[in-house]
Amino acid sequence: MDKILFGSWPVPFGEFSLKLDPLSLVFLIAVTILAVCAGAYGFGYMRPYQGKKPLGVHAFFYLLLALVLVLIVTANNVILFLSAWELMTISTFFLIIFNDEQPPVRKAGFIYLIASHCATFFLFLMFFLMSRAAGSMAFDVMARTTFPPLLAGTIFLLSLAGFGVKAGFFPVHVWLPHAHPASPSHISALLSGIAIKMGVYGICRVLCIMKVLPVWCGYVLLMIGVVSGIMGVLYALGQHELKKLLAYHSIENIGIITLGLGAGLLGMSYQAPFLAVLGFGGGLLHVLNHSLFKSLLFLGAGSVIQETHTGEMDHMGGLAKALPLTGVLFLVGALSICGLPLFNGFISEFIIYFGLFQGLLGLPVHGVIICALGILSLGLMGALASACFCKVYGTVFLGKPRAGSSHSPEGMPERPTAQEGVCREGTSKWMLVPMAALAAACVLIGLVPRTVTGLTFLGAACMAHVDLATIQTEQVLVPLTMVIRVAFLFLALICVLITVRRLLLGRASVPIRETWGCGFAGVSSRFQYTSSSFARLIVELMKTVLLFRRHGGQVTGAFPEKTRMDSSVHDASEEMAYRPGLDFLNDVSKKLGHGRIRHTQVYLMYILLFLIFLLVWKMK
Amino acid sequence: MSSLLNVTFPVLAHWMIVCLLSPFFLGVIARVKAFFSGKAGPPVLQPYFDLARLFRKKCVYSSTATWVFRAAPVIILAAMMALSLLVPFGICKAPVQFSGDILLAVYLLALGRFFMILAALDTGSSFEGMGASREAFFSCLSELALFMNFITLALLTRSISLARMIGADVPIVWGGMEPTLLLAVASLFIVLLAENRRIPVDDPETHLELTMIHEVMILDHSGVDLAYLLYASALKLFIFFGILVSIIVPVRTGYPVTDTAIFLGGMLGLAALVGIVESSMARLRLNRVRLLLLISFALAFFGLIVTLWRA
Repeated sequence: MDKILFGSWPVPFGEFSLKLDPLSLVFLIAVTILAVCAGAYGFGYMRPYQGKKPLGVHAFFYLLLALVLVLIVTANNVILFLSAWELMTISTFFLIIFNDEQPPVRKAGFIYLIASHCATFFLFLMFFLMSRAAGSMAFDVMARTTFPPLLAGTIFLLSLAGFGVKAGFFPVHVWLPHAHPASPSHISALLSGIAIKMGVYGICRVLCIMKVLPVWCGYVLLMIGVVSGIMGVLYALGQHELKKLLAYHSIENIGIITLGLGAGLLGMSYQAPFLAVLGFGGGLLHVLNHSLFKSLLFLGAGSVIQETHTGEMDHMGGLAKALPLTGVLFLVGALSICGLPLFNGFISEFIIYFGLFQGLLGLPVHGVIICALGILSLGLMGALASACFCKVYGTVFLGKPRAGSSHSPEGMPERPTAQEGVCREGTSKWMLVPMAALAAACVLIGLVPRTVTGLTFLGAACMAHVDLATIQTEQVLVPLTMVIRVAFLFLALICVLITVRRLLLGRASVPIRETWGCGFAGVSSRFQYTSSSFARLIVELMKTVLLFRRHGGQVTGAFPEKTRMDSSVHDASEEMAYRPGLDFLNDVSKKLGHGRIRHTQVYLMYILLFLIFLLVWKMK
Repeated sequence: MSSLLNVTFPVLAHWMIVCLLSPFFLGVIARVKAFFSGKAGPPVLQPYFDLARLFRKKCVYSSTATWVFRAAPVIILAAMMALSLLVPFGICKAPVQFSGDILLAVYLLALGRFFMILAALDTGSSFEGMGASREAFFSCLSELALFMNFITLALLTRSISLARMIGADVPIVWGGMEPTLLLAVASLFIVLLAENRRIPVDDPETHLELTMIHEVMILDHSGVDLAYLLYASALKLFIFFGILVSIIVPVRTGYPVTDTAIFLGGMLGLAALVGIVESSMARLRLNRVRLLLLISFALAFFGLIVTLWRA
């Protein structure tokens, strides 16, 4: 299956080559679909900026990013991979800081840049160890090498540290919730849809190269998946900024993917090839699915922000009337991300669940416990994600508009009215068509999963180093077919029930009245539940891990005075680990830098001493 | 042609039985409650009369509502009917059985709930938002307990198909793993009360109080839509009764008549039990409900520990 696409590309001191195997192909498909869809959307989305901002530079970096993403997934050489990796970081940085006149955007860009470069340090270390052991920089030579267990374990941990930051594992995800809301929406879609998947790709590639890993690696990977998934969705529930919420959901979905990969790795360690293929296959399918529905949701969020000029969900409401088509497409994305039947999220989660249940019935006791934990947390993530998207869809698209929208997080200029290529709801066709394409892909995979399962299982077999013909993938594909049959039956039932209702109601027009206010006449749209109040019960239960803060709002006395209340959820890892840690480092470097050394002569003396030390060391 | 008939006939027959019988148990519960409060109570067939009356009535829609509000009752009822195909009821085998159908069952429940909450939020009423928020919260906890029970049952019966987990293989399990099954039954009973919004969690009787969950979410539905929703909750109750009775009463005599009698007896007994619980308890305070659901989770968790320890 592996194919050298472009062999012997001579460069000074060696040669590069590009390689395409099923694993690369899964990611390559996602890159291609997203780059086209998000690009087309960007064409419509950036129109208001025409003449105000240098759009050419933006387009240049966009295309550069698309190119290096392709290079990353096809590179067969460490140097080529790392060069493309660095180019990805830099081009993404320039795409994120598009609205660089705003301080938060600049800050988000720098956090991203610093986090990425810290992570790349671990990658240098990892690839150094790998190439030293293999004696070559080429991935396919490395794949033929056997690594000693201790080295393999070290490389695995380094890969988690290096690629984990890009992928957004909890707790090294801090750049992610800053960067996504700061960048223009089609860039967030690309970032969340595919750029963070490059971290997953890196881990998959390392797993593919290391044929044998110690048993604990599978447990570690699965636990990372569980923690990222649950913390991601809990933080998402606490957000009231639309794109920040979606960013935290990316962390959740990376958790689901990692859970699948961890189950696959466990299957490899315990010589259960079926579990390995199911885990890896489910994980890879979720990579593809997540890039489809998450970019759909980010593009939908972009249209919402363009309409309302705010990302604050508690100021929105009733947008399904202003943006009917966007509303339907966003709902498709929301149903897919919750993993509900008929849509693609269910298919990949079903395969991962199925794998975990196989592990539950087949592995020794330790494996049984971790698989049970995996199943439970996947169930919890599903339930919390449903709650969260009920909140998003209910507050943004349904109900009545809540008063008050003042600022625009992206500095979006007013949209010029009456343009060509603008449809009924006022969204440009350039923006609607890519979203419709993504939604159609979600439904297609949801109803005909065999379009992609063949490819993802091939990729999984490639990672698990087994021949796919020996694995009975029909064992999971037949139940999936049954699921699809029930789904079609369900659709038929809906048609029947709608017909019945139409017959019962007759032709008379349906009366439209106000929502019943329970006898209270002065109902205002401010009475509606906001996103924060909807999520309050869950967030308060979890307030010990979420840093939930609430100010004011206490009503006292018989004639209470006017009061105000605000609540917010802060990122615990950022506030309790990174900030104090960085402050400490700042203090230390300040003490080392200033107070002590004032004179240039002292510096010169240090240099002299160091040179003498080096001389003595070398003379030995 | 005949093969198509062979496939469709069991499905239609199953639906027929489920749809005909399900409102009956609501009537039984109401009757038991009336008995305990010393009243005569409505006839057992009252839920049927209510449904028939609602089916004849017209709908009224809110000016705030969108198509989601109108689609929700249809989707919820369809989801419950699709779900009923996966559950065996006594001698009626589940027409659709496959490995992993428990996942489909749980996610069909979730799909129904998703649209229920959206429809509630769609009206823009603060009461319904309140109900929606509580529904979302409690369902997270009850789904967790449900999954925990499914894990234990899967380990006991070495299968992940609902039809085997609660049907064919349960009598064998009762032979040696009673404590586990007792824990699972207790836990599932709490899940049943919570998922169907019965008394310790929610009060299905009162219609306008700030303490409720399900009833407040359907406040703006009327006519045929309301009938669909009530039918869906009757089906949901019936499905949960079916699951629980299949585990509690694993008698398989082999005579269809006896088996049906035993099964129906079990269902009636369970309905009476729910009625007794409802008459003897008050609704829990809202912040206590989560403790009840966590107890259910803990029971199931102990079940898993016992299973692993004995295995």
